[in-house]
Amino acid sequence: MRDAIVIGSGLAGLTTALRLARGGMSVSLLSKGPGGLQLSQGTIDILGYAPDRVTRPLDALGDFAAGHPGHPYGLLGADTVRDAAGFLAELLPDLLVGDPEVNLQLPTAVGAVRPTALAQESMAAGDLKDGASYVIVGLRRLKDFQADLIAGNLDRAEVPAGGAVSARAVTIDVPVRDERDTTGLTYARALDDPSVRATFAKAVAKEVRAGEIVGLPGILGLDDHEAWRDVQQIVDHPVFEIPLPPPGVPGLRLYRTLSAIARDEGVRFITGSKVIDKRVEGDRVVSVSIDSAGRAREYAARHFVFAPGGFESGALAVDSYGAISETTFGLPLTESSAEKLIHGDYWGSEQQLFEVGVRVDESMRVLDADSAPVHSNFYAAGGLLAGAMRWSEKSGDGIAAASAVRAADTILREGN
Amino acid sequence: MKRLQADVVVIGGGSTGAGVVRDAAMRGFKAILVDRADLGQGTTGRFHGLLHSGGRYVVSDPGSATECAEENAIITRIQPDAVEKIGGLFVATPGDDPDYADRFLAGAQATRVPAQEISVQEALRREPRLNPGIFRAIEVQDASVDGWQLVWGAARSAIEHGGQVLTYHRVTGIEHDGDQVRAVFCRDEKGGEDVQIDCQFVLNCAGPWAGQITRMAGLPEVPVIPGRGIMIAMNHRLVNTVINRLIYPADGDILVPVHTVSVIGTTDVKETDPDELPIPREEVQQMLDAGEQLIPGFRRARAVHAWSGARPLIKDDRVAASDTRHMSRGMAVIDHLQTDGVKGLLTIGGGKLTTYRLMAEHIVDTMCEQMGQMRPCTTAEEEIPPEGTKNYVITHRLEDREEDRLEDQIICECELMSRGMFTRALAEQPDGTLDDLRRQLRLGMGPCQGGFCAMRAAGIAHQSGAVDIERATGLLRLFLKNRWIGLWPILYGDQVRQTALDDWIFQGTLDVEHLPHATEEVVR
Amino acid sequence: MNIMNALKRDTAPDAGERLGNQLARATLDHCVKCTICETSCPVSAVTPLFSGPKFVGPQGERFRDGESVDHSVDYCSSCGTCTLVCPQGVNVAELNSLARAKMKQEHGVPVRDQLISRTTLMGTAMTPVAPVANAVLGFKPARVVMEKVVGVHRDAPMPTARTQTLQGWLKKRTPPTTPRTRGPIVFFHGCAGGYFEVETSKKSIEVLEHLGYEVLVPKQGCCGLAQQSNGLFESAKKSVRTLVDQLRGAGKDLTIISSSGSCTGMLKHEAHEILGVEDEELKDVAAHVREFSEFLLDLYDEGEFPVDELRPLKMTVPYHAPCQLKSQGMGTPAADLLRLIPGLTVVDSNATCCGIAGTYGLKKEKYEIAQAVGKPLFDMVKATNKELAVCDTETCRWQIQKSTGVPTVHPAELLHRAFGLS
Repeated sequence: MRDAIVIGSGLAGLTTALRLARGGMSVSLLSKGPGGLQLSQGTIDILGYAPDRVTRPLDALGDFAAGHPGHPYGLLGADTVRDAAGFLAELLPDLLVGDPEVNLQLPTAVGAVRPTALAQESMAAGDLKDGASYVIVGLRRLKDFQADLIAGNLDRAEVPAGGAVSARAVTIDVPVRDERDTTGLTYARALDDPSVRATFAKAVAKEVRAGEIVGLPGILGLDDHEAWRDVQQIVDHPVFEIPLPPPGVPGLRLYRTLSAIARDEGVRFITGSKVIDKRVEGDRVVSVSIDSAGRAREYAARHFVFAPGGFESGALAVDSYGAISETTFGLPLTESSAEKLIHGDYWGSEQQLFEVGVRVDESMRVLDADSAPVHSNFYAAGGLLAGAMRWSEKSGDGIAAASAVRAADTILREGN
Repeated sequence: MKRLQADVVVIGGGSTGAGVVRDAAMRGFKAILVDRADLGQGTTGRFHGLLHSGGRYVVSDPGSATECAEENAIITRIQPDAVEKIGGLFVATPGDDPDYADRFLAGAQATRVPAQEISVQEALRREPRLNPGIFRAIEVQDASVDGWQLVWGAARSAIEHGGQVLTYHRVTGIEHDGDQVRAVFCRDEKGGEDVQIDCQFVLNCAGPWAGQITRMAGLPEVPVIPGRGIMIAMNHRLVNTVINRLIYPADGDILVPVHTVSVIGTTDVKETDPDELPIPREEVQQMLDAGEQLIPGFRRARAVHAWSGARPLIKDDRVAASDTRHMSRGMAVIDHLQTDGVKGLLTIGGGKLTTYRLMAEHIVDTMCEQMGQMRPCTTAEEEIPPEGTKNYVITHRLEDREEDRLEDQIICECELMSRGMFTRALAEQPDGTLDDLRRQLRLGMGPCQGGFCAMRAAGIAHQSGAVDIERATGLLRLFLKNRWIGLWPILYGDQVRQTALDDWIFQGTLDVEHLPHATEEVVR
Repeated sequence: MNIMNALKRDTAPDAGERLGNQLARATLDHCVKCTICETSCPVSAVTPLFSGPKFVGPQGERFRDGESVDHSVDYCSSCGTCTLVCPQGVNVAELNSLARAKMKQEHGVPVRDQLISRTTLMGTAMTPVAPVANAVLGFKPARVVMEKVVGVHRDAPMPTARTQTLQGWLKKRTPPTTPRTRGPIVFFHGCAGGYFEVETSKKSIEVLEHLGYEVLVPKQGCCGLAQQSNGLFESAKKSVRTLVDQLRGAGKDLTIISSSGSCTGMLKHEAHEILGVEDEELKDVAAHVREFSEFLLDLYDEGEFPVDELRPLKMTVPYHAPCQLKSQGMGTPAADLLRLIPGLTVVDSNATCCGIAGTYGLKKEKYEIAQAVGKPLFDMVKATNKELAVCDTETCRWQIQKSTGVPTVHPAELLHRAFGLS
């Protein structure tokens, strides 16, 4: 019997497990895959658009939640979000920088300017400044970083705080394998090797003009978190990483680091099997079972935190008749039919389907249709929570971390 | 104003127009095809991908059946790169009319459509996902065909024979001098100039838009009724042969494996505007039920995209206007000399993609007659791609990428489209939208629907120098917008998860919503 | 009626293969191209020759229709990591296995692959002449000849033959005196455990007996795993069916314990998911078989494991969880179990794969790739303890030991010591 079982290994699951383990609890973490961090941009967003661009996310959060009834931030509040951001920053001192009070404004891999609260230190020099000039250096073999597209749009960007920048692109060829189609991850693994990154950095350095800040794909080392600093030293200009679509190396760094810490803290990882059922006695969940090879295995615990993600992970699904469901336990959701929640205008208003999720109380206990907890020891965190348009708001990480912290702290308070 | 000379102007870049311009050019006429947008963007690109064996019509429309059987053999031979010889089955599912199979076999014999009954056990062995309750099965020579390859093949052949193909040339007027057609006026949408094409003949091959064309000649609209049908592409080949219901033609009676997907179709609903073709929810449900009848578990298989096309049916007084299915599908040539007293203008309607070559032959024959210069049609003899080209097979791209994957990049991974393929097509069509390139390359047509390739494609287009940054950004926006049109009507199952991941990438990681100004493309 | 049921009534001779294919094939629909399998693939991480699990799996499968055109699928090592990590439930590895089997069907299976797949045969042939066999396998010129003639790399790890088989030991040993308080269980040792890794089997049995179990060891053949991973599906099916009957013959509804992590995986899921074996008998065995550490950790979680009897072992050992164990989706029970031994520090390798993947790393054209795959693990093992490493499956132990020089043992060895049995 464990003190707690956490289901899901994305940011919410890992944060919950770590918070509980640090609080002295024995924790098992059940997950089908390695979680969504590697699909993400590898920064910690709190609130980027509300719907206008946000510069001070914690300040903006209260009004935003008030205007969006049912949004998780309404239950979590700025203090918990601040606390959660602080917890992550403390866990990842060599990765995360920034101040949760103020958004950084960072270029994306299409050249848009994206607000985020905490970024990896390797990205920070990209924070857009009036009058700055940037050179975006692409790699011929890396198809997910189109330097001309990025520089072309960045060059036209308005600096959120006012002003303009200039940007140009160059594309160089630095082979690391005998192939033309090298993934960002293959580059990152290669750049963990100091000799490879010296070659890479020298090739970049040749292209840089006086006064330029150098934008590079987010591939500067996987396990060596100081790799980017080496590159910067050789290039001798400020450099910054721009995150790519999956596989996202910065996100992988977060995943690998957080899960390694969790293992060190004694968290048991049970990976590769789906959770299929729960056993309930009275108002409590007593165990969950997974479909491991050959048979179902049951895991008992005192507390359960369910952090499986939303539609992106399949935790929420729509069937061919349009019925929406939570696929693991059939939990009650805010909406039951997708029919009225999607429309045909891609650039039009939000597709409300992606706001659907479970409702929780202030301690993140899952609620039923009558607003009563479904079970007294069953919590939800992260993308499963209803009420947010995480990707367009740029709020997913803040919600994940803060709901994890709230659920874990409730459990720690309740004890065994 | 730019001025061009031609013997004949062909209006409409669908299969009919492409077939006609090829035929006319091969007969030595100076022929120019114009379309308001890209080739194969209308009805031709919006069907289920079936090259009919004729089986579908052996009972309902014997004339069409024989033509289909003959044309199927010709197209398979002259355009092998567009046709995959997958074969077809007609199967009677539980509840279907038990007598229909015998009528079918008799009809097939009478119409000379090759057909042979096989045992139910054999049918289930070949296609293990078929409904195990089927009680009759008849094998036919259905094939699948890529409408875009078909059209572009014909267009390229026309160009080789001296024809001209002008895409994004919108017809703005047709001038006739008393009773004789003199010129067609167009707007070159991409070049931004007006074009006058002097000619003595105009062939109106605009399909469901044919009425709009006759109006531009100052004549009454020809009575073309767009008969809308929806199709849904399923993520992979649930079957490897065409599966037809062994019943009198009805909705949702066919499942066609074409390229990497299998397409279920279709419905038939009368519409008024061929530019406004919805994909109604209830018709999607109807198709899924129909799929379930053929393949148990169909609803749990993954739908990747849906579309709606309009059959150009010439109104026939013998049937009610609301029941377009039972109007003649045979082609009809309207001679405007007879109907409106204008010489040199023919409108063609009806027909089907399988018989596009034959339709072209008929309309050009009619034109020759009117011109008084009979020249023989040779389109059935000359093979379009280089000699020795084999019929398309599904494994081609996997084999090609196996060969070149270390020397090239794969830009669209779902459909295994290489960077080389993309840059070659872009060089040929620098004004094209990503959708125009998609139709030739299958860019973004697989499960992720552009999630991973759209940004790459826009970036490469910009890097090539052919597309400036405002336009590259516009191309990306337009591509995402257009993909979504065919996605949201079938947003269930695995495609919801895909959409969520795609949104995560585009909104979450890339913040595409906040890109600076983008050029609006000309879309039709 | 669903697709699965619709398939089950197919009784044509190739029904099994088609069923397997269609089962795995249906899962390709779940792929959203997220790249998680690609980031975890140990082979594509070290060589571009393998186009990666997503490419040959759900992506390539959409382009297949019977014919095999992509030979790079042969570079897949069948480690199964892709299926394990896929959050969407795509049977990536199974799709790859089927594509490879198809390729081999069309192009033939090399004699080498047929030979190294016959694990029982190797064992029975080598045991009587163990000293000679070991001398030959340890003799460099002989290995060079073997590489040239058969295609087994000269430096690849080969098992060490023992002069006594497990069955031989069981016949000759003095029966245990420990009270049998916990009833009978069946021990499944696998080919290696019967012929080469006899010590592992002995110690596992003795630990189980120490805990109070009556350990039954029926005569048993090969599970067919090596045949399966070399595309010899028909032989593999025959092998696994025979084994299932042998294990069930020992007694009804008995728990089956195995100290071979990979053979356990074959019985639990691979025979069903890859070979398409649908027998009820196999399902029954799959539900009753437990990997050694899995079984003991479950005992611990139920409060039935005598933790207080464990004597301290003051040392730090690297532990590597093999792919085929991880694929069973139950975590890494050995690591958690060994951590119960006082004084013992267990360091997880956190490495995906040792490279051997059954017989993959033996092959001359794949040896270098396998070594590159295993390098992070080898470095970690050498840096952690030059005297001892721990790993649950035999071929992985041989690979680690051969590549690092560090003696590598089954977790049972440490428990055996901690219980004071050695």
